Amino acid sequence: MTEADAGKHLLDGLSVLVVEDEAIISFLLEDMLGELGAADIRHAGTVAAALICIDERQPDLAMLDVNLGGERVYPVAERLEAAGARFVFTTGYGKSGMDARWAGKVVVQKPFAADAMVAALRAALAQ
Amino acid sequence: MSSSADKSPTRVAPVASLALERIVRSPASLVENLPIGVYTCDRDGLIVQFNRRAVDLWGRTPVLADERFRFDAAFALQEPSRTPIAFDRSPMAQVLADGQSVRDREMILLRESGEALTVLVNVDPLLDEQGSLVGAVSCFQDIGELTQMKSQMREGRRIGRRVMEALPVAVYTTDADGKLTYFNQAAAALWGFAPPLGEQQWCGSWQIALPDGTPLPHDQCPMAVAIQERRAVVGPEAVAVRPDGTRVPFMPYPTPIFGSDGEFIGAVNMLVDLTEQKRAGAQQRGLIDELNHRVKNTLATIQSLAAQTMRGSTNPGDKTFEGRLMALSRVHDQLTRNAWEWADFATIVHDTFAPLRGSANSAVQVSGPSQRLKPQSALAIAMVLHELTSNAQKYGALSTPAGSVALDWRVDGTRLIVEWREQGGPAVTMPHKRGFGTRLIERSIAHELGGRPLLEFTPSGVHCMMEIPLPG
Repeated sequence: MTEADAGKHLLDGLSVLVVEDEAIISFLLEDMLGELGAADIRHAGTVAAALICIDERQPDLAMLDVNLGGERVYPVAERLEAAGARFVFTTGYGKSGMDARWAGKVVVQKPFAADAMVAALRAALAQ
Repeated sequence: MSSSADKSPTRVAPVASLALERIVRSPASLVENLPIGVYTCDRDGLIVQFNRRAVDLWGRTPVLADERFRFDAAFALQEPSRTPIAFDRSPMAQVLADGQSVRDREMILLRESGEALTVLVNVDPLLDEQGSLVGAVSCFQDIGELTQMKSQMREGRRIGRRVMEALPVAVYTTDADGKLTYFNQAAAALWGFAPPLGEQQWCGSWQIALPDGTPLPHDQCPMAVAIQERRAVVGPEAVAVRPDGTRVPFMPYPTPIFGSDGEFIGAVNMLVDLTEQKRAGAQQRGLIDELNHRVKNTLATIQSLAAQTMRGSTNPGDKTFEGRLMALSRVHDQLTRNAWEWADFATIVHDTFAPLRGSANSAVQVSGPSQRLKPQSALAIAMVLHELTSNAQKYGALSTPAGSVALDWRVDGTRLIVEWREQGGPAVTMPHKRGFGTRLIERSIAHELGGRPLLEFTPSGVHCMMEIPLPG
């Protein structure tokens, strides 16, 4: 059994915020999160939109694309961390392209390997 | 020996030549032949004797005991600074006035023609048997050449300084104890202040740190090492901390200086500012990061498009597709880390098997050296290894606990020889249809890279040999 199969109910009942500026990529994330049981999935494409979403209702978990069309997602990460919410970063850069402040955080690489994604979400939920 | 010679402190040996004896026995002819100007004045400063060399230097012949040549027969006298000296203030006049010798007085002698000579003057009083002053004798010599040499040396030093000052790179010198003796403008600019000469030791920086920020005591800086160990040092890279807190990365090149007799006299250090180089490096890394970001987002977009397209189908192709996409992405990562110049074959092998877990991973034995591959070769071979691995997982040696894979590679001259051998898996039969993996191996290794692949479906398992040409 692969990690992805084992994660079938990983996100059961959780609300998830996907912060991703590219629509097609956000479809993939939403599908993957849905398969893992997430019930309430919201999407934001910019830092401002993400902060509004968080103000409305704090998510149980967030996936944050580091580079939102040139804008860094870090203000959203700071808000979530201050609120004690769990999140993972998604990036094409690899760890070297990330701000050192977030070096200890879980990072999922693009494109997304289903097993790696489940492992990352599991690690984030355990934090 | 005559009685007059006995009174003189001058020693004279018996000589064979009568002419020579005449010269050495007569003080007047001895003086006449001296290579320095000599003249004697009486108590009133009137010239009573002079030699040939004095006439040469004056550029004229004085009339003896003549008021017109009182104290000196030069046309005029000046200080080295060109201030005029009145004859009644000349060294000769001084000695006649106070009876004290004048030693090594440098001055300028002007001839009637306007020509100027730099001369060194020594004047001694002449006393009678009772000790009363009766006159004085002056010896003077042309030191123009010596003076010119000195001024050339001074000028040489000035030019040296100007050259150092004009250099766009920070340069400073120290004495043998490491105390600062000189620094140029570029050094002061790099340090952000002008350190005190003769006090600051080893380096002019306010503070020094290693690139990781650890403070480096001045007596352990590269210049201190060069001085203490009397050897030229290059690096290591360090950071100058300015009084205002700003930091400048630099590379030092301290070199000891030895005198012509081999004695250690100090050291010179050149500090190359690395700020611009670091900025350019960071910019290049930024561009590569940006390229990587774009490519990875494109791969994720393709992944999403494929998922949307295949949604609802029961085709297991999505796993296969994801595997291929991830293999491409991983080799891309490695190329990105190496500025898209090369990728290491051993790392590609490691990345290929990393996603395998548990028993499948322990069933793989790999052995071979690190070997750099060009990007095109790296991409092709990474995809081929991925196909071999996923095939072995589905149908071959990695589909059963008893099976194993041995992957060995070695470099033979200009070729990388890779051997994949499966054992202990299900009995293998030649596939009816040539799949993607088979076609990829044949096409990319043979045609794209100009290598020679051999793919065999032997009953004991798949066996694949690949020869990949390496760049010369």
